[in-house]
Amino acid sequence: MTSLPRPHVIDRLGVLLSLAGAAALVFLPFVVLKANRIMPGDVRSVSEVLPLWATLSFGVILILVAATAIGIADARVRLVVALAGVAVVALAIAAAGNALTPPGNKVVRVSPGTGFWVLLIALGLMATDAITRLRPGPGMRVLFLVLFAAVAGAALAHGMFDNLSIMREYAVNAGRFAREARQHVFLAVGSLAAAVVVALPVGVLCHRVPRIRAGTLGTLNLIQTIPSIALFGILMVPLGALAAAVPWAAEFGIRGIGTAPAMVALFLYSLLPVVANTVVGLGRVSPATVEAARGMGLTSRQILTDIELILAFPVILTGIRIVLVQNIGLVTVAALIGGGGFGTFVFQGIGQTAIDLVLLGAIPTVALAFSSAVLLDALVDVMNRARQ
Amino acid sequence: MAAAAVRLRPGPDAGVGAPGLTRQATTDNVSAAAHPLGWRASGSDGVWSGYRGAQRSQLLARRGLVSNVLKSLSVTAALVLGTLAPVHAAVVVSSKLSSESAMIGEMIRLMLDAAGIETVDRMTLGATPVVRKALLAGEIDIYVEYTGNGGSFFNMASDPAWKDLQKGYELGARLDYQANRIVWLTPANASNAWALAVRKDVARANNLTTMSDFARWVSGGGKVVLACSAEFANAGTLRSLQKTYGFTMRSDQLIVLAGGETSATIGAAAAQTNGANTAMVYGTDGGVVAANLQILEDDKHDQPVYAPVPIIREAALKANPKIAQIVKPLMQSFDRTTLQQLNARVQIDGEATTTVAADYLKSKGFLK
Repeated sequence: MTSLPRPHVIDRLGVLLSLAGAAALVFLPFVVLKANRIMPGDVRSVSEVLPLWATLSFGVILILVAATAIGIADARVRLVVALAGVAVVALAIAAAGNALTPPGNKVVRVSPGTGFWVLLIALGLMATDAITRLRPGPGMRVLFLVLFAAVAGAALAHGMFDNLSIMREYAVNAGRFAREARQHVFLAVGSLAAAVVVALPVGVLCHRVPRIRAGTLGTLNLIQTIPSIALFGILMVPLGALAAAVPWAAEFGIRGIGTAPAMVALFLYSLLPVVANTVVGLGRVSPATVEAARGMGLTSRQILTDIELILAFPVILTGIRIVLVQNIGLVTVAALIGGGGFGTFVFQGIGQTAIDLVLLGAIPTVALAFSSAVLLDALVDVMNRARQ
Repeated sequence: MAAAAVRLRPGPDAGVGAPGLTRQATTDNVSAAAHPLGWRASGSDGVWSGYRGAQRSQLLARRGLVSNVLKSLSVTAALVLGTLAPVHAAVVVSSKLSSESAMIGEMIRLMLDAAGIETVDRMTLGATPVVRKALLAGEIDIYVEYTGNGGSFFNMASDPAWKDLQKGYELGARLDYQANRIVWLTPANASNAWALAVRKDVARANNLTTMSDFARWVSGGGKVVLACSAEFANAGTLRSLQKTYGFTMRSDQLIVLAGGETSATIGAAAAQTNGANTAMVYGTDGGVVAANLQILEDDKHDQPVYAPVPIIREAALKANPKIAQIVKPLMQSFDRTTLQQLNARVQIDGEATTTVAADYLKSKGFLK
């Protein structure tokens, strides 16, 4: 934080990112204009789309960003400049969408091109690199996330991107979007909660009874190796048979398709990380601490709940973090067995060769996984600090 | 020929062994359609082993009391469960993932609603095997299937009946009713099967409306360049067409596209990429309209017919017998051009299936 300006030092990552961004602007299409949803598109560069003054200021700002990336070491300056770059690129793509869409035309599609995405990734890397250098505490990281989400949400709500293809798909599917989002979160979090309830006792048991440890972890490992689509498929048969044979099972939503098999599959995948981390976490509690607790007259149960589990909690939480991020991704596949979630858009988009519809499912999934990773990482950090 | 017909359609579906499903569904339909106490039929199959065990223990006088308690308990359970038994008041309308089936499903749902029949929306549930399974399991009541898929459902894809709309419909309806108590309602007079489409200017210049015309044109040295998928070119569909109509395509007359989506083949013909003027399409493809192509009639019935047909569980139909009459004029109102135009609004213009469905129903006077 106290670094003095050292202008003669060249930042190697900055050079790399600047080169990538420049190459993206020169050689890759910034925006793609399609006559309709499925036809191949015509590529356009920034200068073809924006008025001269906007193109020039766009170029000047990005050159300043590149100069900062290469020559300025202060992480705070780098972060602010990188975010300014992101904002400028976002404004440019929004302006391109508005410029290329004839008024009232709902048929043409304006999609961000590969150039846009490469530029965005380069700027994003510059920003995350700056954040890493700043070493913000958990509270600060969550604050960054909330601020970023708020700005992005406000921009989307304002409608500045409404002429871009993904937002066109959103407008058509707005009603279903909220429903699939709820279902996505419900499946990811619900299966995680069920897994924690089962996996914690199993983990404790594996820790206490070393004999069953290898067998249990081995079995869970085996489950983990079954490809998700296969596991979803495998579960359709027994659950379907159960629903057909036991009348009340179907009434409680236990069926061969839909939420039930998705939930069971995700539950099975969630077990290993939580059980394994519980075992590891409990194993790391120093025997001296347990001895001391016993010496103080704590019962075996009190030692477990008040000492061991508390000390092992950060490690267990890391396992939960892995599971949540993993589940948010895996839920996508549940759409294939009628489970719903953002995967519905992905597979519908693939079926209609409408890549924008695929993105409408994929981008929120990535955002959701990323946000939950940041949040739980921060929580793990808080736990670790509290323990020290 | 058989190889081409085995595929389910539309979309990337995989076949599902029908026999297993069939048995499971019959059990379920029994319980679904049954009298509140009817579940005891399945109980005697060994599900409620406690009840059966109780019957056996009745033989032992000393355990008579236990048995009576168990028996009355299970009867009470039966009464409670009977009231919970799946007596769907609302009709669960579903569809496959494809925009066409979602759109027609939406129309059916809107018309049932308008007729005062309560509905539940389970549109775009999944690919063919999933939706089919859901119907057999009684989770959904009605969705739009395609007649030609009967061939893969009942493992008789090579039967020539599928190549004729009426015969295929009758065969599928009979098999599905016998095996699963599924009723096939009125089919649309349109087929979503693979077909060839030529640019309209080429069709006009060479007087092409049928595949026979096409064969004559190609054999007479017509300058054809066909854009198609590898599957279409190699899996037997093209070979079958060539054999039936007696023409041969040289390899330099084919542009084989790796992905094999019809949007890509249509795009190639529309943009005349590498001179393409003919494209592999689905019969009711929306892209055909947008790209100014004309579908060639399969006048010798070489390809199986995939006509959209709503199929419904008998139990649901019995609860609401009006459904058959409500759906009939809707399905009869479709022909290939109508479906192409409606599909184009969804696939090409990106309008919501709900909007397109409601617009169409209003324009036809089915909805006010």
